[in-house]
Amino acid sequence: MSTSKTVDHGLSEKGLKAGSVGLIGAVVIGISCIAPAYTLTAALGPTVSEVGVHLPAIFLVGFIPMLLVALGYRELNNAMPDAGTSFTWATRAFGPWLGWMGGWGLIAATIIVLSNLAAVAVDFFYLMLAQIFGNPSLADLTRNLPLNIATTLVFIAGACWISYRGMETTKSFQYILVAFQLLVLGWFAVAAFAHVANGTAFDATAIQADWFNPFAVESFSQFAAGVSLSIFIFWGWDVTLTMNEETKNPKKTPGRAATVTIIVIVLIYMTVSLATLSYAGIGTTGLGAGNPENQNSIFAVLAGPVMGPFAILMSLAILSSSAASLQSTFVSPARTLLSMGHYRALPKSFGKISPTHKSPGYATVAAAIAAAGFYIITRTLSENALWDTITALGMMICFYYGITALACVWYFRAEAFHGARNFFFKFLAPLLGGVILLVMFVKTAYDSMDPSYGSGSNVGGLGLVFILGCGVIALGAVLMFLMYRRHPEFFKGEVLGKASQPYNP
Amino acid sequence: MRYVVGYSANARGGDAVNLAVALARRQGAELDLVMVMPEDSPYNGVYPPVAGFGEILAEQVSAWLDEGLALVPDDVPAQAHIRCGESEAEALIAAAEELGAVLLVIGASSTGLFKRFSIGSVASSLLHASTVPVVLAPSGYSRTKPITRLTCALGSRAGAEDVLRTGIAMARRRELPLRLVSLVALGPGDSDATIHDAEAHLRSVAEAAQGVEPDDFAKLDIDVVVGHGRTIEDAVDALDWKKGEILLIGSSRLAQNNSIFLGATANRILRALPVPMIVVPRNYVPLPDSLFRTTALPIVAPNIPEAPQ
Repeated sequence: MSTSKTVDHGLSEKGLKAGSVGLIGAVVIGISCIAPAYTLTAALGPTVSEVGVHLPAIFLVGFIPMLLVALGYRELNNAMPDAGTSFTWATRAFGPWLGWMGGWGLIAATIIVLSNLAAVAVDFFYLMLAQIFGNPSLADLTRNLPLNIATTLVFIAGACWISYRGMETTKSFQYILVAFQLLVLGWFAVAAFAHVANGTAFDATAIQADWFNPFAVESFSQFAAGVSLSIFIFWGWDVTLTMNEETKNPKKTPGRAATVTIIVIVLIYMTVSLATLSYAGIGTTGLGAGNPENQNSIFAVLAGPVMGPFAILMSLAILSSSAASLQSTFVSPARTLLSMGHYRALPKSFGKISPTHKSPGYATVAAAIAAAGFYIITRTLSENALWDTITALGMMICFYYGITALACVWYFRAEAFHGARNFFFKFLAPLLGGVILLVMFVKTAYDSMDPSYGSGSNVGGLGLVFILGCGVIALGAVLMFLMYRRHPEFFKGEVLGKASQPYNP
Repeated sequence: MRYVVGYSANARGGDAVNLAVALARRQGAELDLVMVMPEDSPYNGVYPPVAGFGEILAEQVSAWLDEGLALVPDDVPAQAHIRCGESEAEALIAAAEELGAVLLVIGASSTGLFKRFSIGSVASSLLHASTVPVVLAPSGYSRTKPITRLTCALGSRAGAEDVLRTGIAMARRRELPLRLVSLVALGPGDSDATIHDAEAHLRSVAEAAQGVEPDDFAKLDIDVVVGHGRTIEDAVDALDWKKGEILLIGSSRLAQNNSIFLGATANRILRALPVPMIVVPRNYVPLPDSLFRTTALPIVAPNIPEAPQ
């Protein structure tokens, strides 16, 4: 009777709700992935320390390579939808070794951002406690190293647990979260300009046209560092471009949503960075945006003086947005690790799926342990861990995005010169974007060897940012060789072969 | 006749398959093993975006279903299905309705250390929403031989008569001896209830049930027992449970028409129960055609030929 048993493998639907997201929904998703409140507090200070008043210019310029690479990303995502993303695409295009490193770069970037998100959430958690109880000493608890590390680990573990259980974020929750962030950021900007107008600003600075001129940045080093930081602030925007079946109108919604998202984001970034510069100046003392003390998270310092008693709203906005991102960001490295385990580029256990929650259980826990480990190391080595991790993160994004963009160029090479659309989207845009990002990566990596780079933390005369960024890449290379020694099938191209898109009009 | 099994690739799924096999053997029913793939909400804001996880997951789920089918003995026909849904319970109910299943079999969670039934979230949702009778397999249920006795638990509130009718019909259809447990004595502090109180309660339930004549109790092969204990859990423990037994229980008055809502008492019984439990929706009408060939009172008797399926 065994013939009576059949598996109905026909999976008519994908694991995504088709046609449920309209334009506004897609914009909300895009903004939530960027998490502007978190991004600004983390990146504004470090960027000011590099490029000073030219912050608005660098923010604008940073968008260009992001856009170029995202266009290539979209092409790859349409041609080869795969949970391994950069890993799978780079393996297809360049073979197993570069593919492995591409995947590693993506995982490393997400692991770094996870530890940074958790740390920012913890800072604002204590700040909010201080604001609630009217006791400023509570905010200083975050400077207590063991307590800070312990709290951060709790946050990471919590987010890992939620992600492992596969909890879903609802539409209304995401709408509220995004609206709240935008509202609070807008409030901050208005309040800052009001202080400037009333003469109560810390260091009122008049806005000048020169602030928008990227060529006025003093050196190429500063320019490169600024751009790799501003890649980070737009990281997340491209999610709108990769949406497809889940939108109500797959032909138009993603493009329109990407446009609207970028307009909203650029407006809010410009307003907030101009407000910050006009209110606080770039001085290196007191509330000045150039004060190294303030680089960790600028709003933790400025929200109080600017917004008065309502500063608690800023804490709440950043805490909620970073906690939500923390949880959602876990999915990505977990799925890439799972995909690498699935293709036997990592030990098989990474490919395990939890039978109860149907999530990549092993990979999720591995990502959490890595993020926790990264945070502990950075926090103990660095005088200013958040600043250094954000700079290292910018580098890592440049690395894996650069590889991904070039993988796009190489994968579609047969089609590249057939038609203007192919030429632009599959060749020119990703090629330019990839080259820009890799140049930024090399330049930043080289500069960061200087012990005074970033926050000025160093180990044996080598800048900590270099050690973090290149150390992680070197660690990846070591792991890759270990994996090759133990399970060479993947590296012999037996699992995932090299391929390219044939020209097939 | 078909039963949907909410399968999962762990001990809990195995319990459910074993119980479904035990039930199906008595009835000549077919099994439909269903696994539910979670549906990603786009509002999760997963970044960097990852597509294609669904395919890896689907591959894994198919492999799991093959393992599940391998647990089903050859004399029981079985099929497997993959469904997608935001809520696993919702998808299982939908599958049961679509496949025309008469039972939804699921394992209770296997994570409970001390209690036999510690309810997982999916089982719990089913017990509060299903429109199809839900059968719960206790943790570690390994018996695949047919069910040997049906116990029907009757409360003292409105709706008990429906449960009684269902119990009698089910016992008749499966040719099972029926045992009635009165929940009248299970009030807090009310420990001096006697078997007479219970019989009086059952009689009143039977009087209220259309088509069941109280006098028939004397003629039927029906056991009436009273469990004693300080708590409901103790009382359930004190009752004698056969290995192949199954307990039938009704829904709370809070249940919407034709759906299940496990009441507080049933919940406490569940926690102590060593045998499978079947929960029927409120106002459940057990497949009139296959159960009642006439409108006469269904009588539990040992030698009635099985109703045609």
